[in-house]
Amino acid sequence: MSVLSSAARGEPIEVRSLTKQFGKVTAVNDLTFSVQPGRITGFLGPNGAGKTTTLRILLDLVESTSGSCTIGGRRYRDIEDPARHVGAVLEATNFHPSRRARAHLQMMAIAAGIERARVKEVLELVGLAADAHRKVGGYSLGMRQRLQLAGALLGDPGVLVLDEPSNGLDPQGIAWLRDLLRRLAREGRTILVSSHLLAEMAQTVDDVVIVSRGRLRVQGPLSVLTTEAHSSMRVRTPEPERLAALGRGAGFVPRLLSADTVLVDGATPEALGPILAASDLVVYELVQVSQDLESLFLELTTSMTEAARPVEVLQP
Amino acid sequence: MIQLVRSELFKLRTTPGPWVCVAVTVLLTGLGITTSFIVGHHGNVHFTAPTTPLELRNLVGAGYEAGVVMAPVIGVICITTEYRHRILTATLLLHPRRAEVITAKVVASGIWSLVMSVASFAMVAAMGIPLLVAEGGSVSAMLHQVGPVVPGILAAYLLLAVYGMGIGTLVRNQIAGVILALGITLVLEPIIVAIFSSLAHMDVNFLPSRATQAVAGGLVPRGTGGGGGAGAQLLSWWLGAIALVCWGVGTAFVGYFTTFRRDVT
Repeated sequence: MSVLSSAARGEPIEVRSLTKQFGKVTAVNDLTFSVQPGRITGFLGPNGAGKTTTLRILLDLVESTSGSCTIGGRRYRDIEDPARHVGAVLEATNFHPSRRARAHLQMMAIAAGIERARVKEVLELVGLAADAHRKVGGYSLGMRQRLQLAGALLGDPGVLVLDEPSNGLDPQGIAWLRDLLRRLAREGRTILVSSHLLAEMAQTVDDVVIVSRGRLRVQGPLSVLTTEAHSSMRVRTPEPERLAALGRGAGFVPRLLSADTVLVDGATPEALGPILAASDLVVYELVQVSQDLESLFLELTTSMTEAARPVEVLQP
Repeated sequence: MIQLVRSELFKLRTTPGPWVCVAVTVLLTGLGITTSFIVGHHGNVHFTAPTTPLELRNLVGAGYEAGVVMAPVIGVICITTEYRHRILTATLLLHPRRAEVITAKVVASGIWSLVMSVASFAMVAAMGIPLLVAEGGSVSAMLHQVGPVVPGILAAYLLLAVYGMGIGTLVRNQIAGVILALGITLVLEPIIVAIFSSLAHMDVNFLPSRATQAVAGGLVPRGTGGGGGAGAQLLSWWLGAIALVCWGVGTAFVGYFTTFRRDVT
């Protein structure tokens, strides 16, 4: 039985020139990005990058210094029945430890005007039905995280904002969450998810927004960012110097890896293949080396000169 | 707004703190009932049935002192629990308009304080009437005092809970809020009354405890801020009610703009 309505419509999230200062500290600095319905967007950045602050501004928990955040063109506070439009998971500590899990969701359902029967449905969806009578204080971190997700899904919203939703989940739980998010995205919902688990994000998200020190580093489809835009070709050849010269001539950045192997940064099979064919160069091996999300993330967020790095925004 | 008030009431009844407040109110009411039967005369203490209208009023209103102590506490708890257990995030995600949240909490803590006062009157009926009968007192004479006393006590509980809500909105920390609410009533006010009424001859009747006394129809809390003397002139009940509402709404208003609107990080 499906407990998520396919009729729920996703709405775009727009963050425009957002800045937030806490005293002298600038947590978010002129941040602009957008999140589209029907896609899972990973919101990535190192600790202190401003992710949580951005999400809290989006949800009207924190006031921005300047700029705007909207969901479907409206500020969160202007959305009627927000629980039916936006579901949020922020941190797994937002519970009264003496309240039972079912009562927590019932409290939410009453506040949002959602029928009580829905509580049972979402408890079953997140696998907590058998433990719903227990006090939340006795829950593990993973169980609290599932309860947070149940609360987020209570109103069957079209937009989900999830801050580190896989924290505390076991591998089965992470796989379950991945499948759930994919299903929700297929239904046309908008999903913005922040996480530190890059390998998991790489398997889950369609788009990424990478921030560092409160500024946008890159936004775009993950497939584009990790293959086409940042792909390299590893070539084994008896004539590495000639290959390097050909690569440089075509605008790529060749690097000698060993006596017979050259890494041609920026090249794709479609770009390099014809050049090699036209030059009659002997090739023993030609392999595309895609940059994975982790190396992309590290490159964008640990560079000492990142302040000078231009922002990249790639279209899907 | 009705959904929000219902949700706040649900929050109160699904956590132990508010029920502890009810239990302590009943317990303190029991002490108040016992005190109503104790009469000191020329150094001798007797346990005897109250007979005069004033004594019977104090028996019917035996839960008054419990209300003076516990009604502000429920107001404080209603708001500071949100900070203590960090559930304000969930509350504001459901209702991002914070002024409405404060309003709902004022209403919910007021309703819960009425539950506490009803429990207090139930204790008077369950313990006071059998004791009165056992000591040869007149139940019908006691029942004659119900009409004059009960509305004032109910109003006092209600307004004190609103006053506590105001304190809780001003002070995020739950323990500090409870200490502040009780400290003002039990410690600070008697000192202010003693200093300003006798030395500066200032009108202290607008202070929360004195205003509460006025609302409750002149019932005198024994040793709980009733300084100024039992015979001191009090405000009329409605002026006392206005004074208490001003204390509650005033502190809530200040708390809303200084504390409650802050970023929830």
